[in-house]
Amino acid sequence: MTEYNSESASVLTAVRDGFAPVTMHTPLDTVVVQANARRRRRRAMTVTAVAATVLAVGAVGYGQGSSRSAKSATPSTAAQPVHIVTAAYTVDSQPNGSVTVTWTKQGYFQDPSGLQAALQKAGFPVLVKVGEFCKGPSDDGYLDPSGVGRGVEGVMQASTDSNGQVIFTFDRSALPAGNELFIGYLSPAQLAITHGAPGSVERLVPTNTTLTCTTQAPPSHYGTRG
Amino acid sequence: MLWRSRGVEQLEFADFYVDSRDVCLRAVLASVVDRSLAEDLVAEAFTRALMSWPKVSQHPAPRAWVVRTALNARVSWWRKRRKEVPLGITAYMTAVAEPVIEVDPGLLRVLRQLPRRQREVIAVRVFLDLDTRSTAELLGISEGTVKAHLSRAVATLRVQLINHHQAEVLP
Repeated sequence: MTEYNSESASVLTAVRDGFAPVTMHTPLDTVVVQANARRRRRRAMTVTAVAATVLAVGAVGYGQGSSRSAKSATPSTAAQPVHIVTAAYTVDSQPNGSVTVTWTKQGYFQDPSGLQAALQKAGFPVLVKVGEFCKGPSDDGYLDPSGVGRGVEGVMQASTDSNGQVIFTFDRSALPAGNELFIGYLSPAQLAITHGAPGSVERLVPTNTTLTCTTQAPPSHYGTRG
Repeated sequence: MLWRSRGVEQLEFADFYVDSRDVCLRAVLASVVDRSLAEDLVAEAFTRALMSWPKVSQHPAPRAWVVRTALNARVSWWRKRRKEVPLGITAYMTAVAEPVIEVDPGLLRVLRQLPRRQREVIAVRVFLDLDTRSTAELLGISEGTVKAHLSRAVATLRVQLINHHQAEVLP
């Protein structure tokens, strides 16, 4: 410390020494995950805005191969203990290999990129898109009235706790080999099919092949499960 | 290519985080005098630093950038709290275990008696070791104001710390 007389310096040294035991408890991973989730959210918002613009001029249903990101195409297979708490959700890996995700019903639809990042960090393979709905080449496109494809029920289960929070449990062991969970969120322009309520489509999709994706909204359903 | 550059970026940031987190936390704690809030604010500031790492890494004093961002976030925090909006910037840190008492509560009590600006000047001068000009730039005040705040703060601290130590010694 410069520019101080000895008396001032001794006072300031006392303050500095008094704070010496103070250390950050927040792990680096927490900061990195949070920053990456925000970056993805920012990108997703941009993508959603672009998709909404495209839909607005009538361009729907392009049926091209999926532009699956490198990260989602090779999901982490090495599950690691995860305990993530954000304003929107919590993610906890369980000793049995499953991953428990707790969201408020509203929060579930607020941070899709955060969900993908958290689940991938926990070793659960998932592909999340907004305004785009993908399926494997042998998938007939079936969705139940809740917007859920075949086989998802054993992989992703929802329940509601006493506080009205929706708790999703993702069970990797129930996921067939070579598959990942696909979650497609309705873009703002597509919410008409759920009468304005946030909604999503869940399917199991193969990881080793090109997916067929479309921006055409799925059949009418009420996607706010839980 | 993008992925690789992101990886390098995160490695650089990791080094910065490990080297700077404690110093930044102490500076912010000395300013806000609330351990949990300080931790949340610094975590938030580092998150923003990583999001803007290409810019922050070129900053002449990245630690000062983090502290300034944390103190600015506090303003947002208070505004949000006043409007009773859920605490977005702090909620994600609730899983962090409640820290043990690391600072003499008497020292925190003494700091709490100082006006906010005096605490900020003390924090920046003591923990970031910035000179008067840099402190003035960081806090957005004049150099004369920095000197005045520092002088008053030191005078108050000297008296209060002496009183505090005497109270500790005397039965």
